[in-house]
Amino acid sequence: MAKQIGADRLGDFYTTGRVRKRREWRGLADTMYDYSCWLKIMLILGKFLMCPRNIKAMFRYRWMANYLAVPMMVDRHTQGLRGEYLRIAHTEFDLVVDDVAKLLSNLFRADRRIGNDVEFSKKCVLVDENEMTAVMMGFPTLKGLSRETVSTYVPVLQNQHAVLHYLDVAQDYGLAGDVCPMPAAEAGVSIDDDAPILGACAIQCNTTCDGSLLGNGVIAKRLELEDGVPCFQLAAPLRHREDDVQEYAAQEIRNAIAFIEEHTGEKWDWKYYFECARRVNVATESRLGWLEMNKTDYPQVFGSNLALYTETNYMAICGKIPEFEKADRKITALAEKAYKKKMRAAKEYRHRAIVWGVQSHYYMDFLLWLLNCWGIVPLTDMLSMVSTRRLAEEDTPENRETAIYDMAWLTENMIMRNRTHGGYKVLLDELWEFCEEFNADMVILWEHMACKALSGFHGQFEEMARERGIHLVWVTHDLFDPRVVSRQGVRDQVNNYMRTVFGEEPIDPTLEVLPDQESW
Amino acid sequence: MKAIWKIILSLAAVVLALFVVTFTVYFFNLDMKLTAAIEPFLLKHYDKIKRDSHL
Repeated sequence: MAKQIGADRLGDFYTTGRVRKRREWRGLADTMYDYSCWLKIMLILGKFLMCPRNIKAMFRYRWMANYLAVPMMVDRHTQGLRGEYLRIAHTEFDLVVDDVAKLLSNLFRADRRIGNDVEFSKKCVLVDENEMTAVMMGFPTLKGLSRETVSTYVPVLQNQHAVLHYLDVAQDYGLAGDVCPMPAAEAGVSIDDDAPILGACAIQCNTTCDGSLLGNGVIAKRLELEDGVPCFQLAAPLRHREDDVQEYAAQEIRNAIAFIEEHTGEKWDWKYYFECARRVNVATESRLGWLEMNKTDYPQVFGSNLALYTETNYMAICGKIPEFEKADRKITALAEKAYKKKMRAAKEYRHRAIVWGVQSHYYMDFLLWLLNCWGIVPLTDMLSMVSTRRLAEEDTPENRETAIYDMAWLTENMIMRNRTHGGYKVLLDELWEFCEEFNADMVILWEHMACKALSGFHGQFEEMARERGIHLVWVTHDLFDPRVVSRQGVRDQVNNYMRTVFGEEPIDPTLEVLPDQESW
Repeated sequence: MKAIWKIILSLAAVVLALFVVTFTVYFFNLDMKLTAAIEPFLLKHYDKIKRDSHL
């Protein structure tokens, strides 16, 4: 119960049940700030529940139960934070909560089972969860809505058990148990008749992996053959750094735009596109500024504050929502203020780490745990090291052609796949370059055991880390399924390394072993 | 004048009472404890819904 960073024994808040004992006392100013943000989230949720169709959806869709845990998700990502770090986290998370609430409201408005607003549904285009939404940057009157984001992606952030039911359903229907649980859960939602039905058309993509493609096949079959929603398969090249694939990638974008125009009757709007492109550039510049700070002794926007926000802003928002530009500027101002004061987010920084690989989705607050428990500063993560290319933002005939290539580039460089696909250089070589740039002495290497894209590189990672004298800590997990590797199982891999190799004691020993097996 | 003061004091009392109640809910995590208690009933309800489950 103190104002100072690191004064609380954070493990004492845990219970063996779903939720924590109580919220933190962070000193008067920070507690009042956190309380005011909690009130704001309660107002967002209250406003959401005031709409009868949202209540109807709450009782129709199983995944909606996970939204009961929204405030706790924010608490988990603000654990131990004070001052500017707390404000950065709330700026991001509160905005994401608001954005997801709007996404849900739009989906239910158009959903044939819930709101059944037919005219509105004709203005909706379904997009994949793991898909850059760049092809929607020129359609100001259309809504690009992702059913998978609200039914699988966000629920697992809120509740580690969120999609277990859907994984079981998918396996009951014969899908293999060792595929990536993300597309498996998405397919499970569709098989279990638990996806909203809406939209003039859908744009699916291959941007994640072959597992995702197979999941999309299951979903597309139902969408096209039963629901009458035509699907376009946007196939972005895998060797995305090669010049000879770019024309093909650009043609895919042209085809996707033509498909949307054909099925919605809307026309591509270049003015709106360049407005969005300018906002994407602001987001890129902001992110580059934060990463520059993280190369110094006083990193400011890192851990979950960098990872989750970048994922949302880069992929799902893609310049379309002006509020994110305001948030980018606010975060930068807060970070610069903290940097000038030489502030630190934890009482002790012991190691500087690059977090690589595909993160465990059911344990996204692990990055904060690394910091609070062992003083490991997660300077940046693989999913935040995305495209830094500046998009053309002035409307000229030449730039219209460049813009097609820019959208293709963004689509090819979707979060995660820009590293898991594209070859040796993007996954291995650049990791060591980042270690040098960020002066990192550790790599926390997520090993998503069902991801076939990374498993082949295991030995090479170890060999190259050894050559460079970098501590490489493997952290195995199963992305959406904590039954395979629990959160404690994730923590134990770091605990063992820190104790046996470094011979260190934790900064906060109450965090080393936590009874959070049943926790949301 | 007295009446205005009465209104101001009543408003202040209401605001204070609201603050005390909401801050108690916030600090002791009562909102999450309540929703955690609701979750099992919702899950049972979802199990009862008839679905057209198929590949």
